[in-house]
Amino acid sequence: MASITQQSPLGAVEKTAPAGPARPAEGPPAAPGRGRGRNRTRRHLSDKGFALALMAPAGLFLAAFVLWPLIRFIADSFYEISPIAGGPRTFVGFANYATAFASEAFQNASVRTVVYTLIVVTLEFTLGLAVALLFTALGRRSSVFRTIFMYPLMIAPIVAGLLWRFLLIDNFGIVNELLYRWGILSSPDQIHWLSDPDIALFSVALPDVWLTTSFITLVLFAGLQNIPGDVIEAARIDGASYPRLLFSVIIPLLRPVIAVALIVRGIDAARAFDIILIQTDGGPQGSTTTLSLLIYRTMTRFGEPGLASAMGTVYLIAMLAVAITAIALIWRPGSQAR
Amino acid sequence: MNGLETRGKTRIVLWALLAAALILYGFPFVYLLLTSFKPPLEAISVPPTVLPTQWTLENYVSALSREGVPAALVNSVITAIISTALSLMLAVPAAYAITRFRTPSGRVFIVAALVTRMVPTIAVGVPLVEIMRNLGLTDTSFGLAIAHTTISLPLSIWLMASFFEAVPDELDEAAKVDGCSRLQALWRVVIPVVTGGVAVTAIFAFLASWNEFLFALLLTSIRAQTTPIVIANFQSQFGLDWGGMTALAAVYSIPVILLTLLLQRHIVAGLTLGAVKG
Repeated sequence: MASITQQSPLGAVEKTAPAGPARPAEGPPAAPGRGRGRNRTRRHLSDKGFALALMAPAGLFLAAFVLWPLIRFIADSFYEISPIAGGPRTFVGFANYATAFASEAFQNASVRTVVYTLIVVTLEFTLGLAVALLFTALGRRSSVFRTIFMYPLMIAPIVAGLLWRFLLIDNFGIVNELLYRWGILSSPDQIHWLSDPDIALFSVALPDVWLTTSFITLVLFAGLQNIPGDVIEAARIDGASYPRLLFSVIIPLLRPVIAVALIVRGIDAARAFDIILIQTDGGPQGSTTTLSLLIYRTMTRFGEPGLASAMGTVYLIAMLAVAITAIALIWRPGSQAR
Repeated sequence: MNGLETRGKTRIVLWALLAAALILYGFPFVYLLLTSFKPPLEAISVPPTVLPTQWTLENYVSALSREGVPAALVNSVITAIISTALSLMLAVPAAYAITRFRTPSGRVFIVAALVTRMVPTIAVGVPLVEIMRNLGLTDTSFGLAIAHTTISLPLSIWLMASFFEAVPDELDEAAKVDGCSRLQALWRVVIPVVTGGVAVTAIFAFLASWNEFLFALLLTSIRAQTTPIVIANFQSQFGLDWGGMTALAAVYSIPVILLTLLLQRHIVAGLTLGAVKG
């Protein structure tokens, strides 16, 4: 709590009356500083008012370009809307929701979104932790490699999706070719990564894993550096093996860091759109149509904005509910802040 | 350093493991680069080659001279710059207010920023189409930059709040004792101390716009189209031009990858700050 210090010789300082404990000694009366006249008008703003004034532009921006669109999106879910711009709107209550919940496409897409998110988060966490431990074990000399490891983070998801589609494509995909050359596959078209409906959902998750495992590694690596040395020392003296040390000391200590990393990545994975769209466009046979793709298609291709909005609203509420529960359950902010 | 490092022979095994991991991790992009230097037909040959049999810049020349490609690259730069500026102008004062004057509204604000991150892009994007039409901003870089700012602003507020948190309150106090107004204390004393943090925030805001796809797909058509859309259109529009696609993808990705390598210390700070400090 800072109160205004540039009081005029007449002492207008009482006016500011901070809400917190009063700060003693505001210092000597202000030197004849610059811009006095300019400040005189602003001096009437309390700290609270000043804070509000600083937050207002960002707040108004978010209200106008996030909150307002969201309200309109949710409102649309109660209407049947003609896809033609300016077409008729009919209020239909919860009918769109009933249609959404009854639709098999929606149910399947929901399951796929959950499976996709779990695949991404599980693979990224396992690989990310392994590499973070590796970097930690190798100590300072690994810093150059840490930098190199970071590079996919900056690549556009659309580029990553296309690149992996190219790597995994039937006929001339390099991954199958190399697996064949090394004798792992008996023929270069043995695995149809993106055209076999049974495995496509796993395959489309690979570029996401490639793109952002580094994020988990960086976050966990930073967390590992913060573990006090004496804790490790004590466990070692007690004769703990490395797996024991990992599971009963390191992972519990990293818990808040792990929670943040997983929540951030989980939210992003559940929202994944372009990376899947560009690889399979939701196919083959709809096996990679997650919720964001289904909503997009319902909106643009099937021309049912009302139904798409209802699906999107359910998706939004589910995301918020899961994320907030996850934060409350595993993060426990405050209990072990660092 | 806390005793988690390994010494002795196991280190050799670990270095080997790390080398293997890096080769695997680096291969996709290296293969993209190699493909971009192959003649267009070799890029889609069956079976595929790893190294080009003949090195050529053909793909770069054809991709960059395609109609709409230079314009899209310019649009990407313009949109990202506007969005970064907008994001900083809004986030810096807000984050300062949140960390310095711990008012209830500030707390509401930071939670709202977090919640914004969880909103599916499509739920905001679709209504934005009409809002932009009403504002006369359809298919303009400015309109798209506004949409991109909805993504980067919450992140920027979080990042800037962490950086301001690290500046002791006493600094502002001292500035005010010396006769600065509250606004001057922020502008002349506190911001110069956190320029590093502002730079990190700017990089993330820039990248968020540079790599964004769905808003660009919904809000632009011809004039303001950004490069991710053009890259995505490469196959449908021009047949199976994988060679050209890899060349354009390389052109688009290399500047930001180099940026990362140059500024990696700052970027790591930005990525881990929010998470590790809790």
